[in-house]
Amino acid sequence: MKFAYYPGCSARSTCAELNEATHQVAARLGLELVQLETATCTGARELRAIDPIGFHTLNIRILALAEREGLPLMTICNTCTLNLLDAEAAFVDEPHLADEVNARLAEEGLRYGGRTRISHFLWVLYEEIGMERLRQLVVRPLTGLTVAAFYGCHITRPPLRYGFVDSRNNVALERLAEVLGCRPIDYSGRTECCGFHTAAHDERIAIKLTGQHIKSAKANGAATMLTPCPLCHTVLDGFQREIERDMGERLDMPVLHLPQLVGLALGLAPAVLRLDRHMVATQAIARLLGT
Amino acid sequence: MRVIQADVAIVGGGAAGCYAAINLHRMGVRPVILCKGLVGKSGASIFAGNLVISGRALGNSEEHARNTAEFLIKYHNQFLIDQNWARRCGQWIESVYYPELEQAGLYLRRDEQGNVVTSPGKIRSVAANVQGNSGVPFMDLRRKQVIKAAIPRLEETAVTALLHRPDGSVCGVFGLDYIAGEYVAVLARAVILATGYSDRLHARSTGTREMSGDGLAIAWRAGAALVNLEMQWWHTNDMAAPPSWQRMQVYPNPMLGSEKSARMVNAAGEEFFNQQQDDPLAYGPYTVQLKALARQVHAGKARYEGGYFAGFDHCDPREVEAYTSYAKGFRQLGLRFPEDLAETAVTAHYRQGGIDVDTQTMRSSVPGLYAAGGLAGHSNGLIGLATYDGKVVADAVAADIRQGAAPDLPEAQVESERRRLESLRVARTGGVVPAAIKERVRALMWEKVGVEKDSAGLASALDDLAAIRLDLLPRMGLKRTAKAANYEWLDAIDVVNMLDACELVMRSSLEREESRGPFMRRDFPLQDNANWLAANVIEPSGNGFRFRRRPYELPFFRPDFDTRSNLEVPW
Amino acid sequence: MSAQESTFGPLGPERLAAGEARRLGQRERQDTLAQRNAGLAVGDAVRVRIRRFDREGADEIQTFEVPCRKWMRVLDALNWIADNAAHDLAYRWFCGSKMCGTCAVRMNGREVLACWEAVEPDMTIEPLRNLPVIRDLVVDRAPFDEKVAALEPWIERPVTYPGFPEPLSHKEMKNASKALDCIGCMCCYSACPVIGLGDLTDFAGPAPLVQLGQTALDPRNDPAKVARSLARTGIFNCVSCYKCEEVCPASIPIVSRVIEPLKARAHALVPAMARHPRALRTIVAGRGRVDPGALILRLQGFWALRNLSRVLRLLLRGKINPLKTLLQRTTPASGAARRVLGREEEP
Repeated sequence: MKFAYYPGCSARSTCAELNEATHQVAARLGLELVQLETATCTGARELRAIDPIGFHTLNIRILALAEREGLPLMTICNTCTLNLLDAEAAFVDEPHLADEVNARLAEEGLRYGGRTRISHFLWVLYEEIGMERLRQLVVRPLTGLTVAAFYGCHITRPPLRYGFVDSRNNVALERLAEVLGCRPIDYSGRTECCGFHTAAHDERIAIKLTGQHIKSAKANGAATMLTPCPLCHTVLDGFQREIERDMGERLDMPVLHLPQLVGLALGLAPAVLRLDRHMVATQAIARLLGT
Repeated sequence: MRVIQADVAIVGGGAAGCYAAINLHRMGVRPVILCKGLVGKSGASIFAGNLVISGRALGNSEEHARNTAEFLIKYHNQFLIDQNWARRCGQWIESVYYPELEQAGLYLRRDEQGNVVTSPGKIRSVAANVQGNSGVPFMDLRRKQVIKAAIPRLEETAVTALLHRPDGSVCGVFGLDYIAGEYVAVLARAVILATGYSDRLHARSTGTREMSGDGLAIAWRAGAALVNLEMQWWHTNDMAAPPSWQRMQVYPNPMLGSEKSARMVNAAGEEFFNQQQDDPLAYGPYTVQLKALARQVHAGKARYEGGYFAGFDHCDPREVEAYTSYAKGFRQLGLRFPEDLAETAVTAHYRQGGIDVDTQTMRSSVPGLYAAGGLAGHSNGLIGLATYDGKVVADAVAADIRQGAAPDLPEAQVESERRRLESLRVARTGGVVPAAIKERVRALMWEKVGVEKDSAGLASALDDLAAIRLDLLPRMGLKRTAKAANYEWLDAIDVVNMLDACELVMRSSLEREESRGPFMRRDFPLQDNANWLAANVIEPSGNGFRFRRRPYELPFFRPDFDTRSNLEVPW
Repeated sequence: MSAQESTFGPLGPERLAAGEARRLGQRERQDTLAQRNAGLAVGDAVRVRIRRFDREGADEIQTFEVPCRKWMRVLDALNWIADNAAHDLAYRWFCGSKMCGTCAVRMNGREVLACWEAVEPDMTIEPLRNLPVIRDLVVDRAPFDEKVAALEPWIERPVTYPGFPEPLSHKEMKNASKALDCIGCMCCYSACPVIGLGDLTDFAGPAPLVQLGQTALDPRNDPAKVARSLARTGIFNCVSCYKCEEVCPASIPIVSRVIEPLKARAHALVPAMARHPRALRTIVAGRGRVDPGALILRLQGFWALRNLSRVLRLLLRGKINPLKTLLQRTTPASGAARRVLGREEEP
């Protein structure tokens, strides 16, 4: 199965381990990833409000690049995914916007026809692979690993995009974790916010919010947290020391990217999945799994 | 206890009360608003579905203007209205009302091209933002105007009594902030009662939770003459279930941007009413609907409590959803829209009557006491009419109080009222729950003072009330006596007002020996314009009361018959 | 643990069709609605736990069994309890039909409008968050009212009113019109995690912002007046978590149709508020991609280096790459970004 691959900016910088792990796991799963060399940032949160036409053009452009390859688009970041979904919806709902965007894309010989399917890696696992086949591919069941899934807002809200009446009813990550042999745990932060999008100008919000989530995960017995979004990971993992200082207690909670958890179950070594490139040490996981 | 000095105390934070306050403020007078609910979040005004276009405004033709006036006088008031007041009101709405609202920022719904969206037909209307929901942004604007003008607003405060000077004139109000559990006295040179069109005296009622006929009861106890209390309107298309949705209407009015309106079918699926088809002049078709329903009930094909249905299954859903909120309730229940009809039932609605006032000044029969809007019993309800009252009363009060002096606190009255309310805040083992008495009263009103009445039923209802006063009232007790947020205590206070208000309604109903519009008497089924085209005034006298009849002048519209079976009268 | 034994419930078929995974929420919505409207028969027992609280020290959960009625709403259950079991239960409601916005509570941890929301067979009912509780389910609305009033949510016209009807189209009022659906129920205010942090930020909160949006997004309003109001909102502290949109009973897309348009206005009228978005745009316009180090440096300057041990840790793990940040000003995406966003110089 071939995908146009859109890693986003975080996986190319702060969370480069996510990008590497994704490539490794994709190979194991038989997913061929085609890089879109000139794909830009989707605009994070900030671009949408202050430059709507710029925002829509950059995002539709990414979809157009994938369409030119004739491939569905795979993402590995929640905010990238929501941006692309929103741009896709606007393209369909607002024909005058679609025309304006295509006029700009025409300047580089591009045009979008509305045919690209956007699929986060999590959805690829459910659709392209399927849980039955994934279970068969598991070489090292992650028995004994208690996992607290942290969804990240942008893969489960808003209801206009995803439909959930109550996003706490989203159990996709827990079910996946079970297929991999983990024991998912319930805790208060599952579908809550990490505060990443204000962190650049006021990281206290992220620190205060995320502290509660990690604490709850730990109190409920999680050995690790799991997230499908590198932005959440940046706070959960990257800010954890600052969170500990703010709370006045140690947390020592490793945080895995989604492809890393999958990769471990598929038999890949922690080093290959770049578990060494986290701010919070991940050796405890390796020890737990006897690797 | 807080004591507040003001120029004017306004009881009621709806369309009339807020507009009176805003106008008084503009004239340099200091009003205070006391609201038993929350300004802009309770009362009748928030439920305005859309706004009728009066006179020649917004492209209305001469015929439209005449139709609107005819609708108001005939259909909406059954001729029991001061037609000169109506004319003044119509002119004001035409020239001042809409421009002023829009200038203040109210968004009268436009289409994509910039035209104001109207409902077509013999009478035209517009909506504030969304049809079915106009009252919410309308009253929210009033709330914000009140806040901007820094007019003091005592919310969730129940006024329980009027205060009087030695000469009997009204000089303020006494009340209870029932969330804080604190008493308050407001001294003023005039009091405006503006507690609205709705009360919550029947088992199914469009009144909001806090209503219990307070305005009527307080005015009566202060000695004011009341009028036409028996003229009670009914919604015919309010949801039969769930109980909390008894106020949610399947609006029968003309729809913005559409030639259609909702239709009603009986238990056998036969259509029996559709406003735009059956009676395009009945813009607010409540009476013609009720009469159509009554015929179905008599034929055994519907009941007043349900068994008939309303909806939009004959419409394109996009037509309904373009400018209205009507689909939402259906969908929330899991019904398909527009295919599914909803079971509906009647709900007691506005009281056309209230405090008898001079329609030039809104003065009641008690000096210092005014009434405006729904409680002023001179017209049935539309939000524009209530607003106009707010202006009229503000002008009159501002002129009247120039001569008045600021009152002193009548200590004895305040103490007496405080003791009375304290006596209701008692625990009693085996005591009767006040809310249960309220339910009893509402149930007996529904049963014996419902859509169709007769003297036996009304007499029996009066006996029931007397029994409640004698037997249940003295045994009222609360589970909890702490003062803050004590809704039981509030219920106990309300019960007293409800009993007074209901008794007045029953007696007035007995007095009017005819049927007229929504007022239906089995024992007097004819509309009698020879004897009863008149105000039915009840006023205190000696130890009791007496009735007076005051015929209405008919300068512009008059009925073309003396007597006719009310059900046959087409309006 | 086998597929059937999950504490997290069944997920349906183990392989989904293409495009179905992102629509799992649609299925949840349908299942929930159908379940709630059909799952309870008239007469079934609805189990209700309510938090009873007063300021004199009472604080406990009481449990009640309520007989289900047709299409029962949470408010109907509360009314039954007050009528039959706990006469002193304190809860607020006025209209019972989604106009007044005073009956909002939390049901099983989720903000709902009691009169609008169907009952669930098992319910825990608590008051809204982020507001002082007066008694049981009655919260103090004053902090919200004060915030709204402080934003001055009314229109001031820069030019004289032209007369009725004034030139105005729905196109210009699209977002303001959505904001006008707001009934001030405060569900979003309760759900907002930034409001949950109290005085930590100056964020006004979703509900006050929607109230402001009704007039601030109205083209008839004086931009200078809108600017004054926006300056008090702390609007760029919205984390875009969309919890407000999730709970809004009026289905107002609060983030995308109110907060983001208000951010756009703030960017235009009060540029100093919008440093973060402008910095991001500049970086993307130049590099085509976000370099987080560049963003932080641009926003915080050398203040970003205050915690040297932290900087060192980040450096050692490869989380930051100062050479790349400072020297690699272009990527293969730069050309496209510059074309689309326009060339901007990074100092």
